[in-house]
Amino acid sequence: MNPKTVSYGQLLGISACLALALAAHFETLPGWVLATVAVSGGIRLLLARRGRPAPPRIVRLLIAALGIALLFRQFHTFNGLSAGAALLALMAGLKLLETDTQRDIYVITLIIYFVGLSALLEGDSFWLLAYLIAVCWLTTATLLRLTTTLPIPDWRRSLHYAGKILGQALPIALVFWLLFPRFAAPLWQIPDSGHSAGSGLSDTMSPGDIDQLALSDDVAFRVRFAAATPPQQELYWRGLVMHDFDGHTWRRSYFDSRSVPPLQPQGPAYRYTVSLEPHEHRWVFALDWPSQWDSAGGVLTADYTLVRRDPVSRPIEVHATSYTRMQSPAVLSDSLRKRDTRLPLNRNPRTIQLAHTLRAAHPDDMEYLQAVLALFSQQPFYYTLTPPLLADDSVDGFLFDTKQGFCGHYASAFATLMRAAGIPAHVVAGYYGGTFNRFADYWIVRQSDAHAWTEVWIEGRGWLRIDPTSAIAPSRVEHSAGDAVSADEPLVSRWQRRAPWLADARLRLDALRQMWRERILFFDQDSQQQMLAWLHIPEPDGQKLVLMLAAALAVALCWLTWSVHRETGPVRKEPLVRAYSRLCTKLAAIGIPRLPHEGAEDYALRVAQRRPDIGPAVSELCEDYSSLRYAAAAARTTIREFDAAVRAFRPTAAAKPRRG
Amino acid sequence: MRQAAIDKLRAWTARRHGPDSLPIRIHRRRVYILPTRFGMMLALMLAAMLIAGLNYNSNLGLAFAFLMASVALVTMNHCNRNLVGLQVDATAEVDAFAGGEANFDFVLRNDSRVERRDVEILCMGALGIRSVGAGSSESVPVAVPMARRGVTRIAQFELRTRYPFGWFHAWTYVQGSLTAYVAPAPRGSRTLPAVGGSGYASRSEARGDEDFAGLRAYEPGVPLKHMAWKVLARGAEAAVRSYTGLAAQPEWLEWSSLEGQDIETRLSQLCLWVLESDAAQRVFGLRVPGKEIAPAAGAAHRFACLRALALFGSEEPH
Repeated sequence: MNPKTVSYGQLLGISACLALALAAHFETLPGWVLATVAVSGGIRLLLARRGRPAPPRIVRLLIAALGIALLFRQFHTFNGLSAGAALLALMAGLKLLETDTQRDIYVITLIIYFVGLSALLEGDSFWLLAYLIAVCWLTTATLLRLTTTLPIPDWRRSLHYAGKILGQALPIALVFWLLFPRFAAPLWQIPDSGHSAGSGLSDTMSPGDIDQLALSDDVAFRVRFAAATPPQQELYWRGLVMHDFDGHTWRRSYFDSRSVPPLQPQGPAYRYTVSLEPHEHRWVFALDWPSQWDSAGGVLTADYTLVRRDPVSRPIEVHATSYTRMQSPAVLSDSLRKRDTRLPLNRNPRTIQLAHTLRAAHPDDMEYLQAVLALFSQQPFYYTLTPPLLADDSVDGFLFDTKQGFCGHYASAFATLMRAAGIPAHVVAGYYGGTFNRFADYWIVRQSDAHAWTEVWIEGRGWLRIDPTSAIAPSRVEHSAGDAVSADEPLVSRWQRRAPWLADARLRLDALRQMWRERILFFDQDSQQQMLAWLHIPEPDGQKLVLMLAAALAVALCWLTWSVHRETGPVRKEPLVRAYSRLCTKLAAIGIPRLPHEGAEDYALRVAQRRPDIGPAVSELCEDYSSLRYAAAAARTTIREFDAAVRAFRPTAAAKPRRG
Repeated sequence: MRQAAIDKLRAWTARRHGPDSLPIRIHRRRVYILPTRFGMMLALMLAAMLIAGLNYNSNLGLAFAFLMASVALVTMNHCNRNLVGLQVDATAEVDAFAGGEANFDFVLRNDSRVERRDVEILCMGALGIRSVGAGSSESVPVAVPMARRGVTRIAQFELRTRYPFGWFHAWTYVQGSLTAYVAPAPRGSRTLPAVGGSGYASRSEARGDEDFAGLRAYEPGVPLKHMAWKVLARGAEAAVRSYTGLAAQPEWLEWSSLEGQDIETRLSQLCLWVLESDAAQRVFGLRVPGKEIAPAAGAAHRFACLRALALFGSEEPH
């Protein structure tokens, strides 16, 4: 490339493209990186405006060294997505600063494309993809204007041409995307993307705290059952188990690598797929109780919860099988028993007193349990999402003073009462129920479906799931979320109850989103093999996939070459002109060629003079041609009829001897 | 190394396609294409995109990477198409002076539906560039520098393009024979020789009215100044005013009058005289070994003389 210097207009165009590409990173990039890029671009544009070249090399080097040092201080690495994207952005800004020749601008276009890609590695929405394709389109049009020498095409034509190229590229890209082999595991380990705050359930539960989750309309995960769907009241989505209680807060004790005591499944198995929204925690929600799961689900803890090695920072999909009924092992190990009966000393004295009183009346574990549940249903306990705040001895405060709370309060109080009576118990946090999307047959579980329940160990029966909240507010358990709600209910859900069509529209939208998830985001090896099987290709495997890719690419490239080169040949004449020239050829074949300057009527006259026998036919045809050509509205024939007449016209060579 | 490879390719294509008779239509089988340096950088970036997409297991990232790769593939086709089907013609013979430029005129005809942008013609290192709209044709002047006197034959020229985006470089060689007749650089210190004792007519005499000898019939090549416009205006046959000084005493520009100088110097001197005589609208003849041009005047005569000087010493019969 010849080192032509760049103009202000060219710089402005490319800077705009870069800014649009970086906008996709706006939330993730450090502010100072964006500022550096903006300032570099601004300085360069100002200089260009005054017709001055890039700032001297030493200035540029200084800024570059400073920027990279700062970057390293912040990230401690250049590997990984956030650091890589920041480095890329910084490089683009610095390149902009030093841009003098067209070659520099070419490098910037490549950086812009790569910035677009890196945004897609993090993001997952359809709109992001559409936006970045639009940016790519604009950049390509800008590049066209940069590389074209002679009269530079205007923006409309550049965009049109770049759009045409993108349009032709789409089918080929689709072939690549569908058939390019995917790897099950990454080529190398990706470093954690950082320490973003988690969302959704946390690993502590303080009954007195107001649980904002219940008011959140965000989706926690979506579930599609492969075949049978369990009854709604059995949809307990197990998240994490909390064992440690300090009198106020329940905490999750960290997973110890004890082998998992096997559970005996009972009843039907349910196969399903959980599409988890990123929540930055390591646990995965599965239907109570999971028995099989794929690698994305991680490992099973001794609490029968699934835990991954890495936090869920991108949407993931877990295929699993669960049984809603289980027979737990016959014996509980001493260490577990000890852990699940431990209570903090001198906390919640009134509760412990109550437990002792009740226990004296009900020496049998099961009877005691029923007595506690009866207590909850008979005494005036209320279910509310805005309970009064509780002091340190939260269970005492709840059971004897406020008597208002939601699932967390009841689970906490119930587990405490069990432990006080020497019955092993712990709190399970997760979600309950969900909304069935009847438009696409899957369940949406929102943050407002968050729930806490307990599990108690009854000798001879093993672990039993007890949901104390159901003893108080059956409506909460039977209808899930929305119904038991206060004035704090989100505006959206209030509208939805007033206008069912709005709820339907929302479900349909969510169905689209879920389809995008399942079909596009989680398209993997399995999906590819299913696709091959659908095409009736026997024994689909990786090798067949590659063969298919080669075959499909060959077809696509042939199509491309054909469609591109179709336009290189001479333009076909329009049908009318073709028909007329056919007539002229026929007449030329009998010795009366049309002269180059001769119009149709003169030609007809001349033919009639030399061949009176075909004269009328020819002059009629020529008349038709003239009227079709110059007065199409008034023509008595159509072009098609004219063409047919010309084809039918067969002059014989010299039927009569020619006159001189 | 690179140059040697290019030379080899040129020779190979010349053998492969044989000589072309202009005008020709560029067939797709003779268009070659390779990525440019920018294209190589793009390829590297595409590889990085693919690896990133695979590693992060990001279907959207892969979709974007594949889209960009497909854009590159489509662009390759478009770059190739920019030349295919184009018709090329050129002026076969061109006159020039040594040290000057031979102005070849190439004609690109595009009878297809698509515009051909930024088509470059590379001829002996000289470059011409044009865009040809759909269904139109453009002439591309290419000024080829000519260092030495003589006949320069150009057996091959190149059509190339980087459109669009400059990622690819498509080119084709055309084996059309173009000829530049390079006259010597007009140079010399001697004055015009006075042949035959009668002397030559000076400029002022040539224009003088007193030398007017009468009218003779028009023949092509006569300077416009000598046309008898008034006669023509009366509706009579075109006529030319003839002057005694010019018509009667032709002067000879003689090779032999320049004894003792080397060949090129003598030719340069003769060339200068031809130009001077022509500028003075004199009737003159040229005599060099093996060639004699009868006295005459006008542009055609000047060309004949210059070409004789260009051809001097070459085997080519003319």
